Amino acid sequence: MKKKALSLLLSSAMVVSLAACGSSDSSTSTTTDSSAKTEASTETKTDAAAETSSYELTELNMVVNGTLTATVDNGQAEFEKQWEDAVSEKLGHSIDLKIQQLDHSGYIDAVGRLFAGGDYPDVMIMSAEQFKQYAPTGLLWDMADAYANADFQSRITLPAINENLKDSEGHLYGFAPTYGNGCVTYIKKAWLDALGINADDIKTYDDYLNMLVRFHEEDPDGNGVAGDTYGVVAAGFLGNEAPYINYLPEFWQDAYPALVQDDNGTWIDGFQTDATKAALLRLQDAYNKGAIDPESLTASTKIAREKWFSNDQTGSSGVFTYWAGSWYQTLTDNLIKNEVNEELVMLEPIAEVGAYLNREAPVWVIIDDGDGDNAREQAIFDAFIETMMDGDVVQTLWTYGAEDVHWSTKAETFTINAGTDKEKTYEYADGEFHLKQSPNDPNSVWKKNHLDPALVISPLTNGFVDESDLAAAGNKFFTENCVDAPASPTSETYTNESGTIYDAKMAVVTEVVTKNGDVDAAMQTYVDTVGGIIDQCLAELNQ
Amino acid sequence: MEGRKKKLHVFDVVNYIVFILIGLIILVPMWKVLVDSLNKVGVYQFQLWPSQFTLDGYRTIIETQALYRPFINSVITTVLGTLLGLVLCTLGGYVLVQFDMPGRNLFSYFLLITMVFTGGMIPEYLVMKKLGLVNNMWILVVKHGMNVYNLVLMRNFFEGIPSSLYEAAKIDGCSPMGIFFKIVLPLSKAALASIGLMFAVTVWNDYTTVKIYITDPDQTNFQYKLRNMIMDGDTPTTAYAVSQNTLFNAGIISAILPFMLLYPFLQKYFVKGVNIGAVKE
Amino acid sequence: MSKKKAVMTSGGVEVRQKPLKLRIWNNRGYYLMFLPVALFVIILYYWPMLGVRYAFYDYKPIGQPTFVGWANFEKMFGANKQAFLTSFFNTLELSIVRLLITNLSAIIVSIFLNEMGNLFAKKTLQTIIYLPHFMSWAVVASIFSLFLSPSSTGMVNGLLRDLGILGEADKNIYFLAESSWWRPIFYLINIWKETGWGTIIFLATLSGINPELYEAADIDGATRMQKIFYVTLPALGNTIITVLILNLAKVLNMFEPVFVLYNNAVYDVADVISTYTYRQTFAIALPNYGYSTAVGLFRSLVACVLMLLSNWASKKVRGRGII
Repeated sequence: MKKKALSLLLSSAMVVSLAACGSSDSSTSTTTDSSAKTEASTETKTDAAAETSSYELTELNMVVNGTLTATVDNGQAEFEKQWEDAVSEKLGHSIDLKIQQLDHSGYIDAVGRLFAGGDYPDVMIMSAEQFKQYAPTGLLWDMADAYANADFQSRITLPAINENLKDSEGHLYGFAPTYGNGCVTYIKKAWLDALGINADDIKTYDDYLNMLVRFHEEDPDGNGVAGDTYGVVAAGFLGNEAPYINYLPEFWQDAYPALVQDDNGTWIDGFQTDATKAALLRLQDAYNKGAIDPESLTASTKIAREKWFSNDQTGSSGVFTYWAGSWYQTLTDNLIKNEVNEELVMLEPIAEVGAYLNREAPVWVIIDDGDGDNAREQAIFDAFIETMMDGDVVQTLWTYGAEDVHWSTKAETFTINAGTDKEKTYEYADGEFHLKQSPNDPNSVWKKNHLDPALVISPLTNGFVDESDLAAAGNKFFTENCVDAPASPTSETYTNESGTIYDAKMAVVTEVVTKNGDVDAAMQTYVDTVGGIIDQCLAELNQ
Repeated sequence: MEGRKKKLHVFDVVNYIVFILIGLIILVPMWKVLVDSLNKVGVYQFQLWPSQFTLDGYRTIIETQALYRPFINSVITTVLGTLLGLVLCTLGGYVLVQFDMPGRNLFSYFLLITMVFTGGMIPEYLVMKKLGLVNNMWILVVKHGMNVYNLVLMRNFFEGIPSSLYEAAKIDGCSPMGIFFKIVLPLSKAALASIGLMFAVTVWNDYTTVKIYITDPDQTNFQYKLRNMIMDGDTPTTAYAVSQNTLFNAGIISAILPFMLLYPFLQKYFVKGVNIGAVKE
Repeated sequence: MSKKKAVMTSGGVEVRQKPLKLRIWNNRGYYLMFLPVALFVIILYYWPMLGVRYAFYDYKPIGQPTFVGWANFEKMFGANKQAFLTSFFNTLELSIVRLLITNLSAIIVSIFLNEMGNLFAKKTLQTIIYLPHFMSWAVVASIFSLFLSPSSTGMVNGLLRDLGILGEADKNIYFLAESSWWRPIFYLINIWKETGWGTIIFLATLSGINPELYEAADIDGATRMQKIFYVTLPALGNTIITVLILNLAKVLNMFEPVFVLYNNAVYDVADVISTYTYRQTFAIALPNYGYSTAVGLFRSLVACVLMLLSNWASKKVRGRGII
């Protein structure tokens, strides 16, 4: 009797739980779909009047990566609420913003899963490389017209970025609110001083290499041991992101180890060039001399960073090439926290480098529901992108975050690093715009939210400016010393084979740099392995 | 007689020495983590004691409110996941030792196949989505609740119970369920403790499942949040009064602490384990 | 009472069918107990398994999957042959050696731990050797990367220098990025992390050995080693074979231990099928899930063969399979 009761209980519990799962699933999937599909059917009739048809967008699903600095632990709820209030007022009806913030690492992967599972957001951010691959698929809405007619057109100061995003037929599938930013080379001032080097004298690669070698062979950190420090540390010799994120530009110089257009506009493989071979030999030479921290091969960006500003400076390096602008401030903050001399010098690009690379910017895309009607997509554009660039309330939200959480105009006094010799007090009068302490970090001043005020394509009109001196200096330095990175390729074969191609490149790099292999032989292996695939990519690109 | 005694002695001495060495080898890396978690400054070299003792690493973790909810989630999912796991693998294991049951072989292969064939990550994701388990912490319970490997282990423990006991119970009029609860389970405490611990560790330590299936911050578990927030945040932060290194190591210790505390209570089952032995043969 | 009824109804009517029907009826309680297990297995394992059909599709995150026949397999053994085969053979070698040595060390440790008379020492040691298992692979990798670092902070390299094994002129050894070092280090780290945990099963089995067997051996005048060889080891035999064969089915899935310890300098000795698939699928914006499914299917087939072979061997040697 007992057994029966029990097994009945078990099996009925199973049935109930299954039924519950099934029903909850169907309900969620219908809600996500309905907003797009139900309206579509009513709208198709008035096809011609698509642009003017009224579509009331009441819910906006947004997918974003770590570039939205107002994370859940950092005042996202307030940001979301203030955005909803401000945009509802603009639109004249209420709108519900749903933010789905995915892990920054693994974002591409997570987006793939969302799509495979049929979850399409209304708007989302994509890296330039990701965007290049999704642009031709028909998933993204062509916002060329919306962009051309946008209210913010008149305020745009940097029009080139979005013009460059258009494909050959003039379609604009993504919108970049800022330009891309890039990496500059930072040197620890204390190390230069210890060895009596003047950063202004570092003009050529030889000067640069010589400095790195001295950082390794002498004792720049003053711990009495020579040889326990290195010249430069990097996360890999060749970035696993696009090559415009280059942590060792002084070695790569004119080489661009990816598919790239030559002066005539023909696509070539920048990896199979003499410039790349020369760069590999420079890396090999520097690696052998101890100029590069040997751990660079396996270090992640996080490890490279931590090693660089660690309070145990044994094994650290004098030079680190990393993001310009607000990262200048972040690196400095971390050096201060770790009680390391925080003064940094930004190195003017050496002669062989010429200029640092400004990467292709990440873009916001609108997902096209594919019903041939633009009303919904236009409504998303109006609610999301148009307001993001309004120069006023909403743009401030995107730039600095939520009022009285991340920034304020009320009178305020606060102190950071209290009780240390880096203690600093900030005092603001009433009506003075200023950034507050970070919600989750009382020892640092909030820097920015999603948009960097120094990089944005159309500036704020409300006069709100509060950029740290270092970030401002960093941005100025970068804009004066950068060129735009070459465009990355769009090719189906390249999309499918990029994993294989990257593996083959890395095989060459490690063979030559860390194993002292012969560069020609290594390059030949590369050609033997992926030469055929590369040729196919080039053929597709050049047709 | 004399010689044998001496030999025993040598054996024991050697045995202890070897184990002290093994213990040391295992402890050195762990010790470094522990010392670093109590050291105010980050150091690369091995130190026997922290050079600047601090408890701030642990204090920071305890005071970080964003970790509370994930911690509770972890406790709930670990407890329920372990229970579900034990229920299913004892039921299955028990059925698989019914050698006169028609279809027993079929059931075995039915289970074994799942150890070899998988649909791959995307099909799994789609099924979980259909079950409403995406963005839902119950996935940690369900996903680990059924573990064929543990089920087979359990089955093997059951097999060690002499069949004469079943027969005796059957003659006494005990139902299958009755035998299961009155005879099999009480005799399997050692197995339940060890396999239960296996389930618990798997669920508690699961980071990958959360990374793949959960984006809602309210549904994450302790491991995930700890790693994301404190150990490998994308942006370095000066938020915490202690060095990143101290915090990182305090995070490692905090994550394994529940098991360090729980283990002594389970240990008696592992060491004594007379339960099965007493009835054998 | 229901039992009696069963005997009565099926008893008198048909004698020929009686055994099976009767046996099924008699075991009805067990079938019912198996029901929840079966349901869970079907939902969690068999349902997703329908996805193996994508091995024959071009399946991207967006758009409908299109049937491509054997194309994914042709890529596996055609254009990507070298990388795929390297990862395949690495998987076999790394996972099988890892399986054998971690279990061997676990068996040895269990036996000698079992011999330890002092209960306090035994308990303490057990606690210590279990500890590493509670740490995630990512953490273990970060600890050992620090120890084995080739830069001036690396402790192992520093020790080798102090001992004079590495001379002035020698470069520090890059343990995790040199093909000749990677595998031994990989095995050692695995032994470090998993030996203690592996002893759980073996110790539980050992605790079940009838003490009378040891007493009988004592009477026969057996030494400690003799008792280990003639009583302890045979008692473990069943468990050892089960654990080995069961793990054999899973070994080809090995991902995390390799993923956190390998790097692109050691693909030739370290890349395994799952890490290969990972790079082919998850680093790419528009991956073809069909290709990774095809690789997975091939791996499953090999695992299946491995398991059947070992089960067959087990039957030959011991007269019984694993389940």
